[in-house]
Amino acid sequence: MIPVRSYLRLLARHLRHQRGRVGGLAALLTAAIALQLIGPQLIKTFIDRAIAGRPAAALIPIAAVLMVLAVVQQAIAVWAAYLAETVGWTATNRLRSELTAHVLSLDLGFHKRHTSGELIERIDGDVNALSNFFSAMMIKVVGNGALVLGIIVLLWIESWPVGAGVLAFTAATGLVMGRLHLIAVPWWKQVRASSAEFFGSVGEQVEGTEDLEGNGAADFMLGRFAAILRRWLPETVRGWSGWAMLWSASVVLYVASLVLVFVLGWWLFGIGTLGLGSVYLVLQYVQMSHQPVEEIREQLVDLQKAGASIDRVAGILATRTDLRATGARCLDDGPLAVEFEDVTFSYDDDAGDDITLHEVSFAVEPGRVLGLLGRTGSGKSTIARLVTRLYEPQAGHVRLGGVPTWDVDPEVLRRRVGMVTQDVQIFRATVRDNLTFFDPTISDDHLVEAIGRLELDAWLSSLPDGLDTVLESGSGGLSAGQAQLLAFTRIFLRDPGVVVLDEASSRLDPATEGLIERAVDHLLADRTGIIIAHRLSTVQRADDILILDAGKVVEFGPRTELAADRTSRLSRLLAAGMEEVLR
Amino acid sequence: MTDHRPIRPLRIIVELIRQQPRRYGASLALWVTIWTMPILVGVVVARYFDALTGSRATTELTVVVAAIVAYALARVSVIWSAMRLHANVLFRAGAGIRRRMMRWIYRLPGARPVAESGGEVVSRFRDDVDHIVEAFDFTVDLVGAAVSGIAALVVLWRIDTTMTLVVVAPAAAVIVIASRTGTLVRRYRKAARDATEAITGFLGETLGSVQAIKVAGVEDQMLRRFDALNETRKRMMVRDRTLTEGLHAVFRNTVSLGTGLILILAAGTLATPDGLTVGEFSLFVFLLTRITDSAYFTGRYIAQLKQAGVSMERSVDLLPGARWQDLMGAPIEALEDPDPPVVPRRDAPELTRLEVRGLSYRYPGAAARIEGIDLEIRSGEFVVVTGRVGSGKTTLLRALLGLLPADAGTITWNGEPVDDPATFMVPPRTAYTPQVPRLFSMTLRDNLLLGERRTDTEVRSAIADAVLERDVADMPDGLDTMVGPRGVRLSGGQIQRAAAARMFLRRPQLLVFDDLSSALDVETEAALWDRLFTDGSNATALVVSNRRAALERADRVVVLVEGQVVATGTAAELRNHPEFRRLWDGTAATRRPPTPG
Repeated sequence: MIPVRSYLRLLARHLRHQRGRVGGLAALLTAAIALQLIGPQLIKTFIDRAIAGRPAAALIPIAAVLMVLAVVQQAIAVWAAYLAETVGWTATNRLRSELTAHVLSLDLGFHKRHTSGELIERIDGDVNALSNFFSAMMIKVVGNGALVLGIIVLLWIESWPVGAGVLAFTAATGLVMGRLHLIAVPWWKQVRASSAEFFGSVGEQVEGTEDLEGNGAADFMLGRFAAILRRWLPETVRGWSGWAMLWSASVVLYVASLVLVFVLGWWLFGIGTLGLGSVYLVLQYVQMSHQPVEEIREQLVDLQKAGASIDRVAGILATRTDLRATGARCLDDGPLAVEFEDVTFSYDDDAGDDITLHEVSFAVEPGRVLGLLGRTGSGKSTIARLVTRLYEPQAGHVRLGGVPTWDVDPEVLRRRVGMVTQDVQIFRATVRDNLTFFDPTISDDHLVEAIGRLELDAWLSSLPDGLDTVLESGSGGLSAGQAQLLAFTRIFLRDPGVVVLDEASSRLDPATEGLIERAVDHLLADRTGIIIAHRLSTVQRADDILILDAGKVVEFGPRTELAADRTSRLSRLLAAGMEEVLR
Repeated sequence: MTDHRPIRPLRIIVELIRQQPRRYGASLALWVTIWTMPILVGVVVARYFDALTGSRATTELTVVVAAIVAYALARVSVIWSAMRLHANVLFRAGAGIRRRMMRWIYRLPGARPVAESGGEVVSRFRDDVDHIVEAFDFTVDLVGAAVSGIAALVVLWRIDTTMTLVVVAPAAAVIVIASRTGTLVRRYRKAARDATEAITGFLGETLGSVQAIKVAGVEDQMLRRFDALNETRKRMMVRDRTLTEGLHAVFRNTVSLGTGLILILAAGTLATPDGLTVGEFSLFVFLLTRITDSAYFTGRYIAQLKQAGVSMERSVDLLPGARWQDLMGAPIEALEDPDPPVVPRRDAPELTRLEVRGLSYRYPGAAARIEGIDLEIRSGEFVVVTGRVGSGKTTLLRALLGLLPADAGTITWNGEPVDDPATFMVPPRTAYTPQVPRLFSMTLRDNLLLGERRTDTEVRSAIADAVLERDVADMPDGLDTMVGPRGVRLSGGQIQRAAAARMFLRRPQLLVFDDLSSALDVETEAALWDRLFTDGSNATALVVSNRRAALERADRVVVLVEGQVVATGTAAELRNHPEFRRLWDGTAATRRPPTPG
């Protein structure tokens, strides 16, 4: 079935905005079809009059009208195509925007389950299929359908046996071609599967040249490359045979329709029902109807495929975030207290034993810095994600300045809590846009000042075009340390009350970290800080220490006290002298 | 050297034809037949009308019907052979270009062979090569269209000379318009494609950094930018499609105008002894369509050909140093030829001394570099390169291995100068584990072997050396587990250890590791060093690391600052060197009693 209803359900809202254009399009299509139908009628009149021996003066105006109408009809066709494209793209752009906004609003759990490549395929790939849907539906299916219908009606008027014959023939064409198409579909699927495998392999190889060339494996991969191609060739030939089959069927049907007209025309002309002009008209109409029937059939197949796209897009829009409804409370200015009360959390609701945080309780007073310690997987990053409300605890409360995070206006929360992770994403855009996230309201002076406070001015002046320098995506040509400092600047610009540094130093070497530490000094001044680090040196600046093990708090208290207590875990860690133990 | 003159598309086509002249010739003959045959339909229909208005003998009808049925049978068989043969020709043409592109990529320095992202590379391999092949494909249609157009003209000429000349005029106009607008079509098409690339790129970046965007609360700003990019693409797309539709309209109009002209000329003489018969009239109208189709196709082909030129330029631009001829003419074995047999590698003579003098490399357009690096590695030594982030450690390894083209410097292996490190510094002499290693979509065994012939025992032993046995035991199919997106996704540490196993399996004279510490914990890393150096094996290794486990074990530590060697020695000897101290103290801060805060 053609998923027209589910298509409209998805896009009706976006199409409604353009009612005028859609109406105009319908009018243009109707006009174009009418003009197409008139052409052969004019020729028929011409032939009949010519045979009746009318003078040239009576015939030439017909030819002139025919020419004018043809020009008008083509102009209309162009206009209609323009409108259909505009409507289709406008509606699907709105859908893309809606989808992207929705996806961005979903919790991180969702983003963990879906790769960005997959989501791009949904937001752009699937929606592109829908942008063609509109113009294909309106022009190819509805337009051609109306044309064929018009032809049959006009033929019926000319002579009912011809009308009936052509109607039956058209129906048969649709059915036969549809059946044959089904035979070829699995062949084409196989070709696409091999194509996906082949180009997937291209991508992998290009990204893995260092591994392959460094280990002398390039020839081996080239061999595999050729092997996929060898397998793909016979599949491609079979795929083309599928097209040959459909084309052959189309030729046979076309010739059959000619035979039908020849025989019917011979008979009806013989008994005087049809004039010579009418026989010519029938032949013209039958030839005219052949291609639209083909096009409708092809489009119907394509449109059916759009069903899968629609389902996937609708599926994403139907995904609800795991986060609760949010409140609208504000947070005080200045540093904020951070409080966890019996917080239990698991990334998977059905995890059973696999609980990430288990009844975690602690409190950080405003302006103090908490150092979080623990092995990988002990739950440190999870605490950071709960403070920033990227996730919601299953039990217990997370409070900022005494207000539960779910009750805070999300916009306020974003402004008042800043976080830097070790993975800093760089956009393919200017340094300015990378720092401001494309916010044009942040002035350059403000930016330069923030950069200066981070002692990044030397770096800024080393850039060929200063703030206008375009960074590449990925690492952006920045070292890991520079990327970190860029992320600090992003946070500086927001002036938050709580700063979370999540493994901010994991991939930096110690000397570079010295630079970063000075920046962190500025960042934490008069702010509440939560630092997750695997180096005890980073933790030296902490006022309080929290040690996590397998999601449970095993030690919490002021750093100096814990360090002084020889039996504390912190003391044992310090004595062990291997801070890397915590990795 | 990139040649920036536009590529002449016709030369590309000629090259492609020369690659498979016989197949192409046969295919061309079939397609010319396919294009020309329909003239027969026009002739049969004309005969029908003449019979209808003339003798009205039933035998005439029988002849007409028999002729058209015979035509159908002939056409079906020609279509069938033409499609199958042509599929072969086109596939081979595309496969040839793609294989040559991939070969070129492997000849480039491996560290970063091409500037474009993986997705972009795939798009050039797929879409741009498809465009080139399409242009090649259309040559058979072009010749077919030309032959059928000329044949139609000859038929008409014999009926009425004046009218034929009238019919030709609009067809000529079609060719001119179609070729003149080619550049515009090409520009619009490219703009639309670029706009789409901008959108997918931005989406990828945005979705890849959802956490950062959420924490910063900048969803709205990102959406506004997304909308702006979408709006641009919409404009480009609508413009492109409208132009295409407009051109089609012009061509269709010439048919209608031509028909109108025929009517005017025939007015008054149709069905009179001096003028056309109704059959001849129908033949004129029918063949007019054929002629215009041919003209349209010719014109469109010219535009298509220009598009192929753009695609060829894009494919060539992807590959630094390549000319289009490199993707065409260079000899390559046929698709059916078996792969060259993997020659069992002779064990290389034992490494006694590797010496590097004055090795330099500077990244184009960036400050990052190494300069005048001197380095020596003797058999059995464990040499560690250390330094801050950005000090050039990875660059040094890459330049040594030929994964980056060194600007200056010499490398000697057992006293023999190494002319081309890229081909020399490979197994069995060296093997390499990059900082962020990659595995490929195949079984774990194939990933480790990558064509190397080794027994399972050897594979298992390499896996043990890389501390990967327990991970393999936990995998669903052990060594036969499919790795990658369509199989099991390995963790970063597993990938790194698998890459180490891949390196060990090659039993190189020199092991080269780039910083394992980002994915291995200290115990695992220590276990790995232990197995390598204390089990009586005499491995030689060059390692990038800032970890104390490696530094302490090193026979020699090389300290890099801003791409230059500032100190060399054992950890004990370097203890007083300021840069080394900073690196060492950084990791050793906890040895000092914490200062009371």
